[in-house]
Amino acid sequence: MGPSSDGVERRWSPIAARLLVVAAVLAGWEYLSASGSLDASSFPSMTDTMAELARQLLSADLWTALWNTVRGWATGLAIGGSLAVLVGTLLGLNRFAYLSVIPVVEFLKTVPVIAILPLAIVVWGATLQMKVFLVAFGVFWPLTIQVIYGVRAVDPVVRDTAVVLRLRGVRRFVGVTLPSAAPFIATGLRVAAAVGLILTIIAELIGGAKGLGLSILTSVNAGPQRLPATYALILVTGVAGVVVTSAFARLERRVLHWHESQRNLAPTGA
Amino acid sequence: MTGAVALRWVWSNVWRLWFSAAILVLWWVLSADSTSTFFPPLQRILERLHALWIVGDARRELWSSLGHFAVGYTVAGLVGVGVGALLWKFRRIGDAVSPVLYFVYVIPTAALLPAIVAIMGIGSAMKITIIVLAAVWPTMLNTLDGMRGVDPLKLDTAKVLHMSALRTVRTVVVPAAMPQIMAGLRHSLQVAVIMMVVSELIASQSGIGFFILEAQQRFAITEMWTGIIVLALVGSVLTVVFIAVERVVLAWYIGARAVERKG
Repeated sequence: MGPSSDGVERRWSPIAARLLVVAAVLAGWEYLSASGSLDASSFPSMTDTMAELARQLLSADLWTALWNTVRGWATGLAIGGSLAVLVGTLLGLNRFAYLSVIPVVEFLKTVPVIAILPLAIVVWGATLQMKVFLVAFGVFWPLTIQVIYGVRAVDPVVRDTAVVLRLRGVRRFVGVTLPSAAPFIATGLRVAAAVGLILTIIAELIGGAKGLGLSILTSVNAGPQRLPATYALILVTGVAGVVVTSAFARLERRVLHWHESQRNLAPTGA
Repeated sequence: MTGAVALRWVWSNVWRLWFSAAILVLWWVLSADSTSTFFPPLQRILERLHALWIVGDARRELWSSLGHFAVGYTVAGLVGVGVGALLWKFRRIGDAVSPVLYFVYVIPTAALLPAIVAIMGIGSAMKITIIVLAAVWPTMLNTLDGMRGVDPLKLDTAKVLHMSALRTVRTVVVPAAMPQIMAGLRHSLQVAVIMMVVSELIASQSGIGFFILEAQQRFAITEMWTGIIVLALVGSVLTVVFIAVERVVLAWYIGARAVERKG
């Protein structure tokens, strides 16, 4: 590659270019709505949206909605995630159970999660439970498969060593099984976190449970004068997505720094 | 394969289905005289399913859904591979637009739904737009990643051999990136099916999502169950078809990996 004397410039110019593109997109948005190319009855201007966003950030409504969304997402992820780790580990450790149950899990993984939403709505109505159920259900199947793969991917040498050392039960699980499955679980969790957020928003939009999704819907239904609020809420949802995705990616890197080399080899669940 | 070997092969795979069968039997037996409103007897669900979807004309809803899905998924796949390849080719531009792309990618598409409905109405255009907007990302990002992973040595070799750009892409880049592109397309497929249903659940007059929601609102729970089952089957049939296509497209790759594993 090039000489290292311009290393600083090299590091900074991409960041400058990125900032420039972000600024250009925002400016382009403002220009298009000011010039009338964007229909004012369906797109608010950038400045109106940002002003509304600032106002929303100071209002309690936005934070309540955000809290409701986060609560449903986190509870669902925690329930679905722990069940998946438990069931996945049990299935991964027993060959007979694995071979018997895997067709069911593989089938349910391909079922569009959303199919179950109308049922959840009839049973629980527009409640937190309904959201939690959808998220937990949607996260469970793909994550279980990841955990099974992870548990079964124990290095044969490590496994044989554990046998020779007569490691059993909890010690074997904590010392051998979990570390080898960890990268798979981490990848699965990162994907599950993002999917869970999408499912939370869908449950709020369609099921009418309180949260950002419902706020967006009510604000759209309130008509064109509430447009800036709609787009401000969409931006907030996007930021929530960024936070969730990068937080889990960072967590994965931090917890698994010792596993980095192996992580690149791990299939990403496709 | 001789008859005996074939029989043994069938048996060694079929016995695994005992658990799936047991679940179905259990569902059938436990729900047989269910009086719960939400969980009608499986037998009644299947009878309704036959009457509505096989004899009746509920199938029309399915064709309407699948039409939108087919168009949306095809567009998402083509755009995803195309833009992914462009982002790879023009690395600096790709890097500069990455924050914006990333932001649009992480916005849960569902959040955009009401706004899209407000702009485009509830016709086919809206549904296809939603499917494309959500399903384009897995393919695009996987294409980009896959192409980035091409061995630089191979690219240099192609350069030394004075291969044309098109030939380099065809013979070096695409084969190397193909496994990951297919992984992206598979993920896009699942997203596209979900968004197909979501678009029908939120605002629609047709489609399988509309059928399920409409049954739910009439409190026709048995009919709702038939819709859920049909949707589940559609999702898995599409996945099975995709896997079959993948096996053909990636035959060389799967073969190579099997050889590697045998070592």
